[in-house]
Amino acid sequence: MVEASSVEIRKVNKYYGDFHALKDIDLSIPPGKVTCLIGPSGSGKSSLLRCINFLEEYDSGEVLIDGKLIGYETPGGRRMSRRKLRQMRSTIGMVFQQFNLWPHMTAQENVAEGLRRVRGLRKAEAMERAAQALDRVGLSDRMANHPARLSGGQQQRVAIARAVAMDPRLMLFDEPTSALDPELVGEVLNVMKALAAGGMTMVVVTHEMGFAAHVADQVAFLDAGELVGVDAPARILREPEDPRIQSFLRTYHERNVI
Amino acid sequence: MDVSIFAEYGPRLLSGFGLTILCWLLGTVLGAALGLLIAVAQRYGGRSVRWVLQTYIEVIRGTPFLVQLFLLYYGGPMIGLRLDPLPAGLLGLTIYGSPYFAEIFRSAFRAVPLGLIEAGRAIGMPELAIVRRILLPVGLVSALPALVNFSIILTKETVILSIITVPELMYQTQYMATMTFTYLEGYLALALFFWGFVEVISRLGRRLERRITRHLIERS
Repeated sequence: MVEASSVEIRKVNKYYGDFHALKDIDLSIPPGKVTCLIGPSGSGKSSLLRCINFLEEYDSGEVLIDGKLIGYETPGGRRMSRRKLRQMRSTIGMVFQQFNLWPHMTAQENVAEGLRRVRGLRKAEAMERAAQALDRVGLSDRMANHPARLSGGQQQRVAIARAVAMDPRLMLFDEPTSALDPELVGEVLNVMKALAAGGMTMVVVTHEMGFAAHVADQVAFLDAGELVGVDAPARILREPEDPRIQSFLRTYHERNVI
Repeated sequence: MDVSIFAEYGPRLLSGFGLTILCWLLGTVLGAALGLLIAVAQRYGGRSVRWVLQTYIEVIRGTPFLVQLFLLYYGGPMIGLRLDPLPAGLLGLTIYGSPYFAEIFRSAFRAVPLGLIEAGRAIGMPELAIVRRILLPVGLVSALPALVNFSIILTKETVILSIITVPELMYQTQYMATMTFTYLEGYLALALFFWGFVEVISRLGRRLERRITRHLIERS
């Protein structure tokens, strides 16, 4: 088992022009634990997640991976070199809402690509490792398929295998099941649960309150760019104190009543 | 019509045919290569690089091919650029086509979903590998119809090279027509040749398109 990373987010601010998307966010993500980010759409939870691997550039504050600042040389200082950023990113896996598999490559080639171009493995070895990673997500019989020939759930599992094959110490999930048909959500959540059980640090932006309630170690609620609360799922989801969380959960439950 | 004239001028026409194909092929390949370089440099270059290239595109697109060719062939020697007709013609075709190719590639790159690029960045792929392994192959698929289309336009621009005495098919047909007064038969045959040539290219293009989009067809 590779060691799991911790993430420390301190006073992070992010602007899109005049729009203040993230306001002084402070959040500790302990190693080997699952942290879910929830909140209404537009609350900044995806932006915050994307700041962790610097796909989104935060404007001030610090994001520390295992104590090491990502994106900048020093807090508020110069941008870090591309090489260093690549090095840090190569230990952080990311799974996107739209899967983002490369359409011209087979499932196996998708997973092998990073091993070849980033880890420098030879093709045969990369393909072998890719096959193992796909086997772990239950897709050993779909390795030769291009993404267009896979269901959404299968595509997302390939995307998870692509990230996991790099032996990350931290996994970021950006609404991994939001683009899936309801009957395909379960297979993806099961793979994520297995990862969590293996001791991976996971940060998950999600609308799946069931996943947050049962798998998360802590749940952070964002609203309008502010971190409203962080707590154990049982507390924040069942007996929320903040009226904004109460109202969000009420809407959620109303929508999901059959 | 006297068929023996075609027999007599056969060797000339054949060499002209070869040269027309060569000019088209090299003009397309070199023009597309230059256009690709421009498009990549525009995407990754700084503000000044982008400005210089955009100006180049505007100027070349905004001037007639024949004027460019005359500038190169007749104007060139005055600044020490002395080129034979064929190299001048090939260089001219390359330059003339490059901005159109650059624009085709630029819009094709823009059509590549950002998520595919971000997926590469997120695992730490070097930017060059992202261009080579993701941006180019994905972009080329959507660029292909426009590339084929412009290469078809270029087939017909090759006849302009006859004006600076490149002995391609137009030049040879003109020679034959003048010598034998076969203006109707000669130019009609030339027109038919180009039609057939374009037809071949467009069929090959469609076949190629089907091949490289095979993997994008969703299962039913």
